Amino acid sequence: MPSPPPEPDPSAQDPSDDAGTAPADESASTPSEDAPSPDPSSSTLGAIREPQRLHPLTLLLRVGASLPALLIVLFPLLQNPNSSEHVVSIVLTVLYGVFALPAILLQYFRFSYRITPKQIVIQSGVFNRKNRSIPIERVQNIQIEQNLVARLFGIAKVQIETAGSTSTEGSLEYVQLESAQEIRRIVRSFQHRTAEGEAEAEQEEPTAETLFDMPLRRVLLSGAFRFSLLYLAVIFSVLQLFDPEALADQLMLSRSVMDRIGEAVLSNPALAIIATIVVAIILGWISGIVVHLARYYGFQLWLEGDKLRTRRGLFTVKEGTIPLKKVQALILRTNPFMCAFGWYELKVQTVGLDVDEQGHRVIAPFAKTDRILALANRVRPLDLPEAFGRVSRLTIRRRFFRYTAVLTIMLAPAIYFWPATWIHPGGVAFPWWGFGLVPFLLGWALLQYRNHGYATQDDGFYIRRGVVSHYLWLIPVEKFHVFSATASIFQRRLDLKTLFVDTAGAATFAYPEVIDLPADEADAQFGTLYTQFKTLYRNRIEEATGDPDTRLDVEDRPRLPTGPLAD
Amino acid sequence: MDSSTADATLADVASEEHIHSLDPSIRTVWMLKMAVFAVFLFLPALFYDLTQLFSPNSWLPFGVLSGTVLVGASIYCLAWPRLRHRAWGFALRPEEIYIEHGVLRHVRTIVPLRRIQHIDVSQDLIEREFSLGRLVVHTAGSRSSDVVIPGLPLSEAEHIRDEIKRFILEDPLIEDPV
Repeated sequence: MPSPPPEPDPSAQDPSDDAGTAPADESASTPSEDAPSPDPSSSTLGAIREPQRLHPLTLLLRVGASLPALLIVLFPLLQNPNSSEHVVSIVLTVLYGVFALPAILLQYFRFSYRITPKQIVIQSGVFNRKNRSIPIERVQNIQIEQNLVARLFGIAKVQIETAGSTSTEGSLEYVQLESAQEIRRIVRSFQHRTAEGEAEAEQEEPTAETLFDMPLRRVLLSGAFRFSLLYLAVIFSVLQLFDPEALADQLMLSRSVMDRIGEAVLSNPALAIIATIVVAIILGWISGIVVHLARYYGFQLWLEGDKLRTRRGLFTVKEGTIPLKKVQALILRTNPFMCAFGWYELKVQTVGLDVDEQGHRVIAPFAKTDRILALANRVRPLDLPEAFGRVSRLTIRRRFFRYTAVLTIMLAPAIYFWPATWIHPGGVAFPWWGFGLVPFLLGWALLQYRNHGYATQDDGFYIRRGVVSHYLWLIPVEKFHVFSATASIFQRRLDLKTLFVDTAGAATFAYPEVIDLPADEADAQFGTLYTQFKTLYRNRIEEATGDPDTRLDVEDRPRLPTGPLAD
Repeated sequence: MDSSTADATLADVASEEHIHSLDPSIRTVWMLKMAVFAVFLFLPALFYDLTQLFSPNSWLPFGVLSGTVLVGASIYCLAWPRLRHRAWGFALRPEEIYIEHGVLRHVRTIVPLRRIQHIDVSQDLIEREFSLGRLVVHTAGSRSSDVVIPGLPLSEAEHIRDEIKRFILEDPLIEDPV
């Protein structure tokens, strides 16, 4: 077993360095020196045929991860060490020692992985042996992830994702960083072989070309533009666990000036509200910067042949690949602040990769318009439409009614149950004042209408949407999946329809949908989009076979109701 | 042939004449399923009414709540399956499945046959009594990944499945599923 070489120096894992050496190793085309037992009989490059164990440090980390549970068990004992009524705790601790620790050990020793030219085999399980084999050609992405601890010890987590699955298919937690990169290299070289035959495999892999990187200043700037109350909510919910008042008291006591300010603020409710808002904005702003820094520090994107590779993260470093062919849609995103200064974010939609981001992978977190467009063009030629088609103006009315109805439903119980002793500004129950928001709702509906647009072009379907987050989707024709046009009961009264082209891996929260098109226009678009799809495939088939049609005879083609069984 | 078929799509998509409706017995199936649901709604209402039977200051006379639930549920059970059956229609065309359904919310869907990943015919307990089958079409799409055509005679569902299978097998273009 190899002893863990500590690699606390992050510069040793510099991405450009690793990207530069990878092709060199590839061209050497000899059984790799990292492969622990090179099989002399095999002609393939560095297949790991012997079952491999995970890195021994895994054991330590897993025990470490199980310690919090032990602490909870021991908590009563620790709080009151002199009491004799903690037999349960002690028994549980003993049980932990007897069962949990050996379980970790057994798990470790019964886990093994190996890589053959055809598949990755992962065996695991103590009582139920699991033998999972992942065919090499199905592997879509190998993601290498290192959290802070893993980086200190130079180990990494390898996640293998396949085309069909929506989650990680196989996970190696942890292996040495070099082995992780080796695994990825081996799998990729096998994939080349199966895809393009032996002759192609001899060719060395195209050199990596850095497309985009973010210096520290840029990361901080991007965080500054990403004001988010969400992080703030998280912070406050964490603070709930502690005693915020005691904390505040301590802060106040330590500074008499703060004390005076606090008193002045608290004596005036209006000031208190303003102060709260200001503090919330500042906190939200700072937390946005911090979160972005942690997520995108050292962001790098590079193109390697037909694959994009990304690497990012301050504490947890994530490294992943995106095959260009698997890009389902391009997403340009901005918000009003970013837009005012010409900043955009570029994402791609993929399948089964990084489920925590809803199938979206960030390609460029923050860049100027022309840079983003140039980058997008490298991923997929993009022809931004000059003008977007608008949806029906009736959408403003519909949205306004809907928002007002929601507001009413929310306020009505509050008004009904508002106690007489609580504040009644202007002689009415306070929630009545909530209806002061109605003009804003109208403005919101108007903005949604103004920002909503679509365009059908030869290369795909462009959809623009969103007020706080502006989204622009490009769905290429060859990635259309299911076409649908819906009309709700309210939409039918106004003769409107919603158009949606489904794609693989589309997010469930913000998805490209054209809402409230005039019905005839929606039908026309529906037809156009499907015709585009059909024509594209006819051309492709014609290219491949010389005949634009299926090989089925005319009477054999699927058809119902005129089929033999229909009457 | 190329352009003519491409143009024909538009007409196809809009045309109403070739729409196939579901087997009428699916109405009974739906009705039975809804009845089960309605019973679960009715029993608590009845229970509430019974517990309030002897309480002097009940805010509702006996039977009003359970009666309302009973009447409402029966109307729903009787009318809804008919409306739903009327709204449902589908057509299997040489290159796509066309579906329209929805009582309150009309949905029209086109599933291109070459986008189908796999296809099942399934049957639950009640459907088996009526020898009906349900065609479940799986695509890689995210929101409409399962497209279901209920209420087909089992043989017809299997026939459609085989037709689609043959189309996919004979597709000259081999490409990755996603």
